[in-house]
Amino acid sequence: MSDMTELDKPIEVDNELRNEIRRISQHSRARRATVSKVMIALCAVALVVSAVPLVLLILQLLEKGIPVIDKTFFTTLPSTPSLIAPNATGGVSNAIVGSIALSLYASVLAIPLGVLVGVYLAETETKLASSLRVIAQTMAGAPSILMGLFAFSFVVRDLNIGFTAIAGSFALAVLMLPVIVISTEIAVRGVPNTLREAGLALGAKSHTVSLRVVLPAAVSGIVTGSILAISRAVGETAPVLLVIGGGFTNSWKPFDPVSALPLTIFENAKSEWPSQRAQVWGVALVLVAFIFVLSLSARMWASRKQQVRN
Amino acid sequence: MTEIKSGAAVATSADIRGATAMQLRDVAVSFHGRTAVRDCTFDIAKNRVTSLIGPSGSGKTTLLRALNRLHDLTPGAKVSGQILLEGTDIYRGDVTVTELRTRVGMVFQRPNPFPTMSIYDNVVSGLRFNGIKKKALLDEAAETSLRAAALWDSVESRLKVAASNLSGGEQQRLCIARALAMDPEVLLMDEPTSALDPIATLRIEELMTTLKSRVTIIIVTHNMQQAARISDDCAFLLMGEDRAGELIEFDTTEKIFNNPKDSRTLDYTLGRFG
Repeated sequence: MSDMTELDKPIEVDNELRNEIRRISQHSRARRATVSKVMIALCAVALVVSAVPLVLLILQLLEKGIPVIDKTFFTTLPSTPSLIAPNATGGVSNAIVGSIALSLYASVLAIPLGVLVGVYLAETETKLASSLRVIAQTMAGAPSILMGLFAFSFVVRDLNIGFTAIAGSFALAVLMLPVIVISTEIAVRGVPNTLREAGLALGAKSHTVSLRVVLPAAVSGIVTGSILAISRAVGETAPVLLVIGGGFTNSWKPFDPVSALPLTIFENAKSEWPSQRAQVWGVALVLVAFIFVLSLSARMWASRKQQVRN
Repeated sequence: MTEIKSGAAVATSADIRGATAMQLRDVAVSFHGRTAVRDCTFDIAKNRVTSLIGPSGSGKTTLLRALNRLHDLTPGAKVSGQILLEGTDIYRGDVTVTELRTRVGMVFQRPNPFPTMSIYDNVVSGLRFNGIKKKALLDEAAETSLRAAALWDSVESRLKVAASNLSGGEQQRLCIARALAMDPEVLLMDEPTSALDPIATLRIEELMTTLKSRVTIIIVTHNMQQAARISDDCAFLLMGEDRAGELIEFDTTEKIFNNPKDSRTLDYTLGRFG
């Protein structure tokens, strides 16, 4: 009751105190404004400094890459320069076809499995789920050459499949899997619980709710995560280095040896012919453009879905 | 105390209210051994609106969610006592949880249509989840339940449009239609108008009054005027000394608001606290 009676007392106005408060707060406001300006300036400097290497890289790529790219660069197979024709490098169509084929097969292997595991991790609380999560997180940090080594000993040797596109896709799929699992889990966890309850309250079984209510609601995050996984895989050299056989044909067949853009960079950079070393910049530019388009489409997909929800 | 109170409540209800849809016998819900609500014994009469009122923390929503076993998935949640639906114990009888939820539907606090589905797909989603694929059947159920939810006229021409394009009030009526499509015996409504403006609220209230001839309604509400306006029976819950909610009084709404047995009920309905 004591606080009730206190409420009845009139509030005394202390003008001196009020003026003191105003004076101090005005002073500190002015100081904060100065600190704020200095900090913004520092941030701007940091931004410029960190952007410099990226801008230089892109400029160099464009400067050295564009001159070696023409129509035959995309459409013809590579050839070996000779003393008579030192600039006869041919194109890199085999590497472009190979890279697309490798990421395609790797996606087919990794995305359905990764999405299902991710949904399982997000929707259940079992011991299996927590150990799978630890495995996925560890795999996400594993060096990519390990995937190549694993694919080499398991697919190429043990299964006796040989140096093929499918062996490279297997290595890339193992690399993509944790990225897809983790991004799917995050996307599925982000689906509001009220939607799950709405499904359950209609008499749906929990796996029905997971697959028909939660999964569609999480699709934008899953697609974004998958595209980012593909764009990481397509630029990897180490996993495919040991297993795809460096094929010199435009083969889409999973059981043929293929080449890949990063592998071509790796091989041509070691060439004794200046023309082949110059070609590396063109291949790098194509690879960067490929990854840029993939990332851009992932971002556009994510923002489009966001707008639909809003 | 509790024995006498609940005994009296059951006696009055049996006299004047006709058939019973659900019976609660000494129902309590606890989370990790901590009681959230207890001592709930009363009957839900068929084709009437029963409201659960009380201040925050009195366990209204917790009790409501026990009625369609929505606590099943909450780790550490335990429901004790008996909840009977047409005489069968819903926790121990031979009714499966999915079957129970098709018979006891639910509408939530915030409209929660499935965002990736169209209006039509939302309404028939429950039927589809339960394995019904026949187009003619789904079409009929969609029209009947949208009509019952007073939404058919405004959405008839745009059934394929995403449900998220509807206004908040329309979305909530869509959720009611979605629940009605399962043809439930009981409809649980957890503060269904708390996220809506007054006009949308009024339309939902009107809807409840017309729907009760078809389905028994149990509604949780913070709004006492709403409870007085639309409910026939009323359960008043209050948080006890140990912060667990308990049933204080159950009777017809008329008695709870005009002539309650417990002084705390009177204090609450007069707005002296809460």
